[in-house]
Amino acid sequence: MSEKIFIAQGELTVMLERLSKEMDVWVPVEMGDEKWGVRFLPYHRDNVVVLERQSTISPKNVLFPQVETLLRFRYQKDDKDPSKQRIDLKDRQDVSSALVFGARPCDVRGFHTFDQVFLNGRYKDPYYAQRREKTLFATLLCNTEDSACFCSSVGSGPGDREGSDLWIVPVDDGYVIEALNDKGRKLIHVMGKQATTEQIEKAQRIQEQVTAKRIGEYDLTQSARDFTDRFEDMDYWRDMVSKCISCGICTFVCPTCYCFNITDESRDLEGERIRSWDSCMFYHYTLEASGHNPRPEKFERYRNRVGHKFSYFHDKYNGMISCCGCGRCIRSCPVSIDIRRIVHQLKEKVDAEI
Amino acid sequence: MPKFESNPYRPELATIQDIIQETSNILTFRVVLNDEKKMREFSFQPGQVGQLSVFGVGESTFVINSPPTRKDYLQFSVMRTGEVTQRLHQLNIGDQIGVRAPLGNGFSVDALKAHDILFIAGGIGMAPLRTLLLYMLDNREDYGDILVIYGARSPEDLCYTYEFDEWRSGGVKLVLTVDREFPDWKERVGFVPTVLTEEAPSSYNCKAVTCGPPIMIKFVLIGLKRLDFEDHQIITTLEKRMKCGIGICGRCNIGTKYVCVDGPVFSYEELRQMVPEL
Amino acid sequence: MANISWFGLGINKKKLLMEDKTKTLQSEFLKVFEKLEVVLGWEPGYDSLHATPSFIRQAKDLNKLVWNPLCSQNLCTYLVKTLNASVRKDDKKIGICVKGCDSRSLVALIQEKFVTRETFFIVGIPCEGTVDWRRLMRFEPSLKDVQKVHIQGNELEVETAQKAYRFPLQQVLEQRCLHCRYPNPIIYDCLIGEPITPRAGDDQAYGDIEKIEQYSLPDRLKFWEKELDRCIRCYACRNACPLCVCRDSCIAETRTPKWLSQRCDLKEKFFYHMIHAIHLAGRCTECGECERVCPVEIPVTLIKKKLNQIVKDLLDYEAGIDPQKQPPLMTFDPSEKGI
Repeated sequence: MSEKIFIAQGELTVMLERLSKEMDVWVPVEMGDEKWGVRFLPYHRDNVVVLERQSTISPKNVLFPQVETLLRFRYQKDDKDPSKQRIDLKDRQDVSSALVFGARPCDVRGFHTFDQVFLNGRYKDPYYAQRREKTLFATLLCNTEDSACFCSSVGSGPGDREGSDLWIVPVDDGYVIEALNDKGRKLIHVMGKQATTEQIEKAQRIQEQVTAKRIGEYDLTQSARDFTDRFEDMDYWRDMVSKCISCGICTFVCPTCYCFNITDESRDLEGERIRSWDSCMFYHYTLEASGHNPRPEKFERYRNRVGHKFSYFHDKYNGMISCCGCGRCIRSCPVSIDIRRIVHQLKEKVDAEI
Repeated sequence: MPKFESNPYRPELATIQDIIQETSNILTFRVVLNDEKKMREFSFQPGQVGQLSVFGVGESTFVINSPPTRKDYLQFSVMRTGEVTQRLHQLNIGDQIGVRAPLGNGFSVDALKAHDILFIAGGIGMAPLRTLLLYMLDNREDYGDILVIYGARSPEDLCYTYEFDEWRSGGVKLVLTVDREFPDWKERVGFVPTVLTEEAPSSYNCKAVTCGPPIMIKFVLIGLKRLDFEDHQIITTLEKRMKCGIGICGRCNIGTKYVCVDGPVFSYEELRQMVPEL
Repeated sequence: MANISWFGLGINKKKLLMEDKTKTLQSEFLKVFEKLEVVLGWEPGYDSLHATPSFIRQAKDLNKLVWNPLCSQNLCTYLVKTLNASVRKDDKKIGICVKGCDSRSLVALIQEKFVTRETFFIVGIPCEGTVDWRRLMRFEPSLKDVQKVHIQGNELEVETAQKAYRFPLQQVLEQRCLHCRYPNPIIYDCLIGEPITPRAGDDQAYGDIEKIEQYSLPDRLKFWEKELDRCIRCYACRNACPLCVCRDSCIAETRTPKWLSQRCDLKEKFFYHMIHAIHLAGRCTECGECERVCPVEIPVTLIKKKLNQIVKDLLDYEAGIDPQKQPPLMTFDPSEKGI
């Protein structure tokens, strides 16, 4: 039995509504009336689903919420010995099944980075692991690239199916959806009717067309050495990063950025230890209690960001780049800093010396 | 190294058994894990660290100050600097804290065997070195001559003063120094790097382990180089702002290395290969 | 459909004027470059719909500078925070390009004595408005391969490789430009172009506030809850603000003492935005950068404008208009009316 179904444009929201009764269905919705931006929210019939363009913020909050409770604690008297204290500590979390519908290949690629760090390191992150296991990705083939996109420059592409459980190809009047693995196969039969041969062939043609495209001018996958060679060229980094305003937008919208803070938030005798998104662009990120800061200047922090994505990650994880080329950082940056240019120009000096 | 069963973010509850006032701003805590079995089975290498939790305030990283050969308690020396350490200093014997340990790498005690050892410590920097020193004293035959150069701003700022006799009788040459003259101070006077140069230990078959304020480390390195110590003969332990302690949250990196899992112990040879971002 | 209508004389002349302005800007800085430490301006951004701030430290790079309706960034935000302009090591000046709104920020910094007038060589540019890229895309989502953008009368003309578009300015300019009362720089060493008639008069200054104030209080709360719910605490609004100079000691992030938790509840977001606005009451020059930079499109300028309106009513004062005027919230004068 083929695992390809077709769903008509007009029936999409009905299908999503139906699915949302069994699981959290995360879809890209408009930020609001008369706004351009798109973000991922659990499906609700009042929200307008937008599949025609990339979301402003990546859907990473589905697996990595902006705020997540790690522990709950409460100080209590020890009944056996009232002069002693007891601490009640809980760490369980309830996670429902989820489907991310309408993300793009670049969004899903972000989770490759997360998996390396949260699942495959010396320690496994149980919070992420639990969400990861319970979440499916129905990813949309992308044919709406713009001037900030560069997924091909980092080894991916608009037709990249890796990491997805279901694959959606928009055809004339609807979508052909294909199950890519067992997880996807379990869900596909409730998503639509069996696709016709014609629909399948149309989808196949579109897939071929899109996969052949090259999105992004440069090849940025081999920049690790250029980066370390240029690490101490302060003039270069100052030039490139003077205009940065050190906010956290690039890191917060990015599908591959995973740095977080851990803080205790409490009131009287009880509270929670939460983790929350943090940004390597903030001054406090590396500020030590003694007052010493290894990266006091913004250009040092930005240099670390570039290094982390294009050099350190590459060296630690077999050449993998921790950037998916979605271009969100470029689009949302208040001063339009272009990371492609900064990485590409790393080699300039090197070439000049040769 | 023992792995956490299921949740590496979850601390073990522990009780403060003893508090020693080392200096005006350093307290040493001796804690015991509430779970007796876990306490019995707790094992670690000298140099590994632990995250101490004050629930409601936060967590901070400290070296496990006691050696694995003396496991009646786990010892941590805490200098009062920020939010968490401030609150720790207000705790009493019997209070509950959380412990996530052991984390990070330790000193390679096997690689150090059959060498002469030179310890150079400044102020609270003696804390990580003490654990290695006591481990070596408990395995004395495995190690050669041991020289400890330990300096602080003043006699009041020296830690573990109550143990110096034990160290000396364990076969350690102990050179203490303070920055300037003090009444009743009979030992050396001078900055640690200066005293190092004066002592001029031989670098032959010797490993130097150093920890202290960054400025001291800088000059100690220069001093050691002048004494012909090679990069692989110099070992230090680094400090960084840490949160998860398990190589995930991203913040303690120096290039490709995370201080919380690949360190905090590094040889100077390794440091030279990392990007200059200390 | 012919493009011939583009080449009528009137339109040609306007296009040239914009390119002339770019050349004049470059040459004005070149004339005095040896007296300057750095020049702040704009250069073309990652595509033809974006410009990006430019820090020019060598005369040969001056030809990178441009002026066009995409030059939205307020360069004054760099003065205290990046260039440390309060501290002068030598006699060299800082060259800077300002639009009308930007010049108000510079005047406010001078009023608060963060910087002195003598530090700057100011090239002022009367501004007809800057384009909100998001509003433009909303109007025409298929816009691609843009080559030229300029303002003609009350329309924005956009040429792509495929065709030419005209958009009503009201629909594509930044929100701040729609209520602009100060298109012409208030201080400058040289002015590029003729002064422009403001789009709004003083009586229309707070038209956007009045619109919200027509809602009942519960509806107003609902409005702000809906908007602020999207906030991701990226602090771009704070960092882009030229008057926000606490830099790394902001109470939104300090833990000792702790004012805000790391939680992302509506409560925390409200708290942050209200504190930010109150810290800017009577200081905000309504440059609109906070709103422009917000990645989730929250109309944060409204909150600050409301506080400015209150300050104007009580103390008859607006920041960034007169460099000699002492900001009333920085002094105590018992004879003040309005107390």
